[in-house]
Amino acid sequence: MTVASAETSMPPNSRAAATRGPRHLLGLEGAGGAWIESILDRAEAMLESGPVAAAPLAGRIIAMLFLEPSTRTRLSFEIAAQRLGARVVSTAAGSSSVSKGETVLDTVRNIAAMGVDAVVLRAAQAGAAVAASAGLAMPLINGGDGRHEHPTQGLLDLLSLRRSLGSLRGRRVGIVGDILNSRVARSEVHGLLALGAVPVLIGPATLVPPSLAGLGGSASATPIERCHDFDAVLETLDAVVMLRVQRERAAGDSIASDYPRQFRLDRRRAGRLRPSAPILHPGPVNRGFEVEAEVADDRSRSLILQQVAHGVAVRMAVLEWAVGGPN
Amino acid sequence: MTDLLLRGGRVIDPASHLDATADVLVSRGRVVSIETAPLPPSAIGDARVLEAEGCLVVPGLIDGHVHLREPGNERAETIATGTAAAVAGGFTTVCCMPNTTPALDTAALVHFIRLRAQETGRCRVFPIAAATEARAGERLSPMHAMAAAGAVGFSDDGSVVAEAALMRRVLATCASIGLPFLQHCQELTLTEGASMHEGEVSARLGLIGWPREAEELIVERDLRLNRAIGARYHAQHLSAAGSVEALREARRRGEPVTGEVSPHHLLLTDAACAGYDTHAKMNPPLREESDRRALIEAVAEGVVTILGTDHAPHTAESKEVDFAAASFGVVGLEGAVPLYAEALVESGAIDWPRLVAMMTLEPARLHGIDRLGLGRLAEGGPADITVIDPQRRWVIDPQRFETLGRNSPFAGRTVIGKPVLTIVDGEIRFDELACRNAPVAPSAT
Repeated sequence: MTVASAETSMPPNSRAAATRGPRHLLGLEGAGGAWIESILDRAEAMLESGPVAAAPLAGRIIAMLFLEPSTRTRLSFEIAAQRLGARVVSTAAGSSSVSKGETVLDTVRNIAAMGVDAVVLRAAQAGAAVAASAGLAMPLINGGDGRHEHPTQGLLDLLSLRRSLGSLRGRRVGIVGDILNSRVARSEVHGLLALGAVPVLIGPATLVPPSLAGLGGSASATPIERCHDFDAVLETLDAVVMLRVQRERAAGDSIASDYPRQFRLDRRRAGRLRPSAPILHPGPVNRGFEVEAEVADDRSRSLILQQVAHGVAVRMAVLEWAVGGPN
Repeated sequence: MTDLLLRGGRVIDPASHLDATADVLVSRGRVVSIETAPLPPSAIGDARVLEAEGCLVVPGLIDGHVHLREPGNERAETIATGTAAAVAGGFTTVCCMPNTTPALDTAALVHFIRLRAQETGRCRVFPIAAATEARAGERLSPMHAMAAAGAVGFSDDGSVVAEAALMRRVLATCASIGLPFLQHCQELTLTEGASMHEGEVSARLGLIGWPREAEELIVERDLRLNRAIGARYHAQHLSAAGSVEALREARRRGEPVTGEVSPHHLLLTDAACAGYDTHAKMNPPLREESDRRALIEAVAEGVVTILGTDHAPHTAESKEVDFAAASFGVVGLEGAVPLYAEALVESGAIDWPRLVAMMTLEPARLHGIDRLGLGRLAEGGPADITVIDPQRRWVIDPQRFETLGRNSPFAGRTVIGKPVLTIVDGEIRFDELACRNAPVAPSAT
């Protein structure tokens, strides 16, 4: 099904995409490099042009269906939609009927039946977006589904990397932390591979198991590297993405108290990175745990706040691509 | 009851090593004669003649591993619908697992199943009783009383007997009763939150993985515990290469242990889970090609001797949810014969007589129902007979199943081979031969 998303996530001018019904963005697995670049180009243009004068999505209604707690992703999507002139209806975890026993699928079908132009779905279950998109008449954007994918986060990280490094071809991008349980890491890996970069997955053996090396599938041209020794690869990285360690989730059982000693990005480690290597973090940051506060706040290295701005631009580009066709 | 003559089929009876073209005459629920020479009209009398040329005529098939869901979950299956599915799939006997609601853990409940089967069943039903109270894995169930009531084995299927100390008591009790213990091999601490095989597919889908070791550890532990006890130990629905390795060693040492495989583990891999298809979600999970090959190899070698479908019907709503929340299981009865044939006979691993043995004589022996004459085709024995057209090509369509379950990963698959006639106790319970056979006028005597 994520492969099917690749077909529907082809460039907007593709005839195939136009004849295949709504343009869902379910994941970056299988998304083509050209399509990703086109979204990043559009996002970049939006960043530079400032507020959109014309409102390409005027009159459209986009439903933000967030069935799992989220503040920044939901706000980012809402701002993106409103900047494009769309109106937004929103529901948050706890207030939704899912807490009354309704399934995610039923919830999505119900919202769809109310006549919205697109649905942005955040759900706790891996595969929720794939399942909910089946038979759906309007575009569905995956705003994060369990441990599976978080494609707009992946895209915004790619945008931040590209603006900092230029072309990503051949670049070694370290992703550090709880890779196994991270939807952000999965989307980033697929995106990096599509753009010809080399993902270097860094973390304890419990969170970077061998099975992750196969994430790209057999079709992948560049390999995925795995590494359990952050210090050994610091100098080789062109960029580093520090993931939030979800101590409250499954990862809690898989990390020991010496995790920060091995994997925290502190001043010493930051000093050994290449001077040009940017530091990213999808947030929210566990200050002092996976990243030292001084490193996170170092504007010369840290793209953390830029990432947030890029998030709005990327989500504008995605919504415009998905919803912006003729009414 | 009309007498029946099955004429001209390839008659296979593994118990007597019979594999020949022969006529089988059935009267009053018994097999009267099996003759390789044409029967004289006087012997046929007014028997209804059924032409079985080109078909296999075999002992009624036995599925030692089905879930009939009654009592407690009659929306998923009942004894009536599950046994209708059984006869449509060529089975004349099924053993039903005790994970009902309530669990089958008292003699009264064993009686209940047998009574319901007599009232509403289409084939023979033998209950497997829970080994522990409520299948909770804490206290021994009244196993002696349930054996006396008619249970033919013990299992907490759906759940593992997790504690080693309790497992030893269960095995010792089974050994003293003389009935087998059937283990659902799952080390729980390795499968928390897991919904599919741990590997590259689970990594890609972001689903929590279920490693092979979860099964292998329990198989190895149980075999070790049983070595000093000598109970008849049966490992259900094996999925992992390491499990059959352990079983191979134990059988080489001469221990009374057996293993079972199901059609889905012989034909599918975890790749079927891509796209989050909940019909590919089962317990134990579909594994990798190397495991699949190891299972087939184990059958070919005679390490795994029993085929069981693990027929597990579920309501649509328990499958039409996200993958992690969906129920585990797949319906098995109505596609079993061609799926086993594809995996094992077409692949060259074994021949039809061996396949028939693994679906008749072997499970009959495990459960001690060979003593009733089940699992074999012998003059004077019960007329439980299945006729299979090994060439019939058809498409699996769960919408046309007799089972209430529609949860099959094989929907739309073209398969070859179909049970076309199922006779239970001398009575035709399923008949797709009928269109080929007009009744024969009584001949002059």
